Amino acid sequence: MKTATLLSLTFSIALAANLEAKPLSYVGGLMLMQENDETGHTFSFDYTFRPTNAVGFYLKQEENGKEILMLSPEFNTLLKRWNLADGQGNIFNMSGAGVAVYHGRTQPSLWTAFLADYESRRWFLSYEPRFVYNGDIEKSFWQRARVGIAPYLANYNQLNTWLMLQVDHHPAKHDHFVATPLLRFFYKNYLFEVGYQSNQHIMVNWQIQF
Amino acid sequence: MKRYLLTSIIITLGLAAVASADTITATVNGMVCSFCATGIEKTFKAQPEVKSVNVDLQDRLVIVSTKQGKTMDDAKLRKLIGNAGYSVVNVEHSK
Repeated sequence: MKTATLLSLTFSIALAANLEAKPLSYVGGLMLMQENDETGHTFSFDYTFRPTNAVGFYLKQEENGKEILMLSPEFNTLLKRWNLADGQGNIFNMSGAGVAVYHGRTQPSLWTAFLADYESRRWFLSYEPRFVYNGDIEKSFWQRARVGIAPYLANYNQLNTWLMLQVDHHPAKHDHFVATPLLRFFYKNYLFEVGYQSNQHIMVNWQIQF
Repeated sequence: MKRYLLTSIIITLGLAAVASADTITATVNGMVCSFCATGIEKTFKAQPEVKSVNVDLQDRLVIVSTKQGKTMDDAKLRKLIGNAGYSVVNVEHSK
């Protein structure tokens, strides 16, 4: 039983989502990302092949009512970037086309999301609307906003800590609004987030860039 | 004799300058997080002429040291930092 629980936990943690960090890295860079929250588990793996584009693989196991498995290649595009002296602003598009599986039934799956963010060494702001079409299984709209502050300014090679608040809005779900206070930790090429959601779920995210 | 000595010194100094390493300090905009620094570090470490790279988020600096007798021109440095997603506002070379 313990082994099964451990395996389930490991699998859950290994299946994750589009973290609120940038969906592009440097040219030639790889990114492995995972998100576990009240919506389910998401996992993505991306390769940045030019400064404005990355391709990858996206897998989402939805929970909280509908156990839908979404599987697709994904294409991430930097639409606009502002490199400022004290910060960086971006607008990205992330899109995928693949399949969705629900109770053994397979449907085409299309999704697209926009991510607008601004980050300085002290402040973080982001907004992400996401549209999902899973044939006759699900058509949904979801949006997420985040605000964060770094309590101290760390340099590279030091642990960076952020205090953040995330608010999700799922018009089609029972919990329309979900608030998540969370902690984000950055160390070199590792990012880890943990939070507690207002609908009593634990959020655990991580990202590795290599 | 004096002219010979002077010529020798100039040639020696010139050769020493050519053979020495280059330290390039770039001021960069948009570089605010550890992932930014990692991307820049990995990009530069992959270049054959680069000996070491240091990123200073506080002062927005990327400091690149080249191998003995090697250098990196500004155009390449700007392109590499651009490929990592950031903008170069100033470049300084020192031996």
